[in-house]
Amino acid sequence: MKPPSYLVAILVVGFCFALRIPLEADPVSHILVQLPLLAWSGVLITPNGTGRRSEWNRGGVATLLVAFFTIIFWMLPRSIDAVLSSPTMELAKFITLPFGVGAPLAIGWARAHPLLRGIIKAEVVSMLGVLAFLYIHAPVRICNAYLVSDQHRLGYGFLFLALGLSVFWIAPLFIVHTKRAVMPTKTPATA
Amino acid sequence: MKAFLASLAVLIAGSVLFFKATDGLQALTAEGARRLAVQREAPMVSSFMLETMKGSAEPLPGAPGKAVMVEFIYTTCPTICQSAGGDMARLRDLVIAEGLGDRVRLFSVSFDPDVDDVSHLARYGELHHADGEVWTIARPTVNDLPALLKAFGVVVIKGDPDTFGGYEHNTAIHVISPTGQLSSIVDTDDFDGALEALKRTLS
Amino acid sequence: MIKAKHQPQEAAVKFTMLLAGVVLLLMMVFGFIMRAAQGGMIEIDQALFYQIMTAHGAGMVGTAGLTGISILWYFTGRYVPLLAGVFWTFLGLFLTGVVLILGSIFIGGYAGAWTFLFPLPAMSGGFWSNEAAATFLLGYIFIGVAFLLLHLEIARKLIAAYGSIGGALAWPLAFGNGRAENAPPPTVVAAMASTLFNVMGIVVGATVLVSSLVNLMIPDFAVNALLAKNMIFFFGHVFINASIYMAVIAVYEILPEYLGKPWKTTRPFAIAWTMVFLFVLAVYPHHLLQDVAMPAWALIMGQVVSYLSGIPLLAVTAFSLLVYLRQSRVMYWDLASALLVLGVAGWSIGSAPAIIDGMIAVNKVMHNTQWVPGHFHIYLLLGEVAITFGFMAWLVKDPREKGLNILDLAGFAVYLLGGVGFTLMFLISGALSVPRRWAVHVPEWFLQDRLATGFALLVILGALLFVVSYAQGLRKKRTR
Ligand code: HEM
Ligand SMILES: [Cu+2]
Repeated sequence: MKPPSYLVAILVVGFCFALRIPLEADPVSHILVQLPLLAWSGVLITPNGTGRRSEWNRGGVATLLVAFFTIIFWMLPRSIDAVLSSPTMELAKFITLPFGVGAPLAIGWARAHPLLRGIIKAEVVSMLGVLAFLYIHAPVRICNAYLVSDQHRLGYGFLFLALGLSVFWIAPLFIVHTKRAVMPTKTPATA
Repeated sequence: MKAFLASLAVLIAGSVLFFKATDGLQALTAEGARRLAVQREAPMVSSFMLETMKGSAEPLPGAPGKAVMVEFIYTTCPTICQSAGGDMARLRDLVIAEGLGDRVRLFSVSFDPDVDDVSHLARYGELHHADGEVWTIARPTVNDLPALLKAFGVVVIKGDPDTFGGYEHNTAIHVISPTGQLSSIVDTDDFDGALEALKRTLS
Repeated sequence: MIKAKHQPQEAAVKFTMLLAGVVLLLMMVFGFIMRAAQGGMIEIDQALFYQIMTAHGAGMVGTAGLTGISILWYFTGRYVPLLAGVFWTFLGLFLTGVVLILGSIFIGGYAGAWTFLFPLPAMSGGFWSNEAAATFLLGYIFIGVAFLLLHLEIARKLIAAYGSIGGALAWPLAFGNGRAENAPPPTVVAAMASTLFNVMGIVVGATVLVSSLVNLMIPDFAVNALLAKNMIFFFGHVFINASIYMAVIAVYEILPEYLGKPWKTTRPFAIAWTMVFLFVLAVYPHHLLQDVAMPAWALIMGQVVSYLSGIPLLAVTAFSLLVYLRQSRVMYWDLASALLVLGVAGWSIGSAPAIIDGMIAVNKVMHNTQWVPGHFHIYLLLGEVAITFGFMAWLVKDPREKGLNILDLAGFAVYLLGGVGFTLMFLISGALSVPRRWAVHVPEWFLQDRLATGFALLVILGALLFVVSYAQGLRKKRTR
């Protein structure tokens, strides 16, 4: 039997909390494991079809923007540094990632137009590329709490994530959907 | 229309938040924020007692009426602290050339007082031609160290085992005004910036 | 006439082409001014020269992309239903980008060339502010998003209609035992391949654009100059090549009306189109992983690969065209068919000097000489832009008239003569090691400069005739 998803969410958050010291000791696990897991817990607690009819959130734009700005905030190196020195910021992280990223993302994504989804996917790959680019090559330390060599590993982490996501998103498009496939259109005849 | 208003509200709120979180797009990193905050607020630095490379005691900030420039190092550092030492020597020469030699005290302060005893400090001073006149090398007591680092916003972490078990830290020159306020933080090789900040606090 | 399943978005494309025609003319005048200045015939401020060069480069490349994708959109619209609103959104974003770019150049004084090579945008020596450079990059980002949007709509509809990317690329025919009768039409194959190709370029381009933007605002985030250069060249080459790949769809769709038989998707055709992007995909990623100084061979190879990947395609297209032309008994010439055939010829001929330049021994001598603008002006001016004018002529063609009237003939002759002469002068200068991108030339180089200025005037005259007759055609068609 499948466990109810809120239970999974609690387990995930619990995991992130219990292991926060080792997870946060390394920026790669902090940023590429713990933060996404927390956001995912937000997705899990959002019941299917939440806010499907709200006029305020047509096309999912408003909630996607909420997620966007929350992500941007946590992408700032100084926010990450602050988490490590201030318990208030740590708490804010545990609250805003599920409720400010995961949940609104789930609500917005369900309603987003396929083109908007495509644009977002492309931008995500680009932005991970930007992060990889800056982190691998930055001659200065970006986070005071992490080593320069950690920073480089994080950069490569972003790079592999970008490559992985592009493959993950593009590969299915190569698989023939026989259900959808129509008889190929012939070259138009000239008359 | 409702959807547009909602999105617009999020857009505005999000931008304001981002603007605030970056001090008006000026600081994305904690280091940038630290420098900006110092420049705006010029906080008072409480006094610490240091032991210099000559074995004598000296307070930081120093004698009233004298500005101070401090950087933090550990003498067994194979890389950055050595070039920072070279930078500091250069800065000392520039300060003297500007005729400000008797109005400012330069410190290189070790954040590794366990290892850096007086003989280590002296060796580092010798290596970089610090004679103790204008510029001296010093260490705090082990007890004072955390408060000292906190007062200056310096974060020290243990480095990779394969980098000789050293430390990584935010290297910079901290300028303290004659009234004991931390007024500016600049890169160790930003000589113009350091001199300018010094003159500002002296005027 | 064509029996297609769907109706292309005619009015929007016609409007866009009119816009593009006018911009092409304006940018050509900019080119003329540069050439005249190099020949010492007029005197302009050097800062202004580089502003004009930046505007000419960005404007021309942008317009080539715009016309290419409009052609693609128009003809793809025959096979799958495309959302009309997407094109208007595209145009809106594109024009916003253009306004930002023009503002950054002529108000902000940005003159760091269309290639925005790091660290030039950030180090203007006082000629322009960081804000101007940032505005320029922002303009690019707008244009990138605009293209992304159109490509996504096309990809989505093609995949839905043909089952998968491979289906739209005719892979069963290319690599399996599929039969030619069941293969998608050439337009679909070309649209799918150039979409994949261009999306890749845009994603890489967006990465380096945003990184440069962050660097402009926060210099602490330095970017690796070598890697940035690679990514910019990758993006630039992909984008400009894609504009030709997209434009050539007009050849596949329009010339059959003249030839009396359809352009067929054959196995070599399908393989050639797949190679266009597989090649790039296979060779390029290792550059992105490299963070040590790149060996020269890798740099050169990286730049050239994006050309070479198109060579099989070029060969297949040009060869098929020759065969079709020889076999056809009903082929006739009017402005549209003449310009389209010229376009394929210009594309083919323009690629030859690129290959020569790609050989390392030659590259040492030719690189950064006017040989480079020489080769790309051939395949742009006489290739992409010729196809564009051909498409425009076809859009407003009067079916009752067959053949070239005297004005058409004059326009075509002047454009061809001017184009050949103009580009030849670049090549000659290049062979004599005249550097590119110099505002001031020494008198020894004046001869080619001045001849080229004259030829440029002919080109402008021809283009002016095309655009005027297009505008008249639009009016006539409406009243008819
Ligand atoms: C009458 C037609 C044209 C004239 C007179 C002209 C003239 C010029 C000149 C003088 C240069 C600078 C050469 C140098 O580096 O020394 C140039 C560069 C360039 N042109 Fe053109 N051109 C024309 C048409 C085109 C077309 C149709 C395109 C593309 C569709 C194009 C794209 C470019 C590009 C991308 C550059 C490079 C700018 C740079 O180096 O940053 N041009 N052109
Ligand atoms: Cu050090």
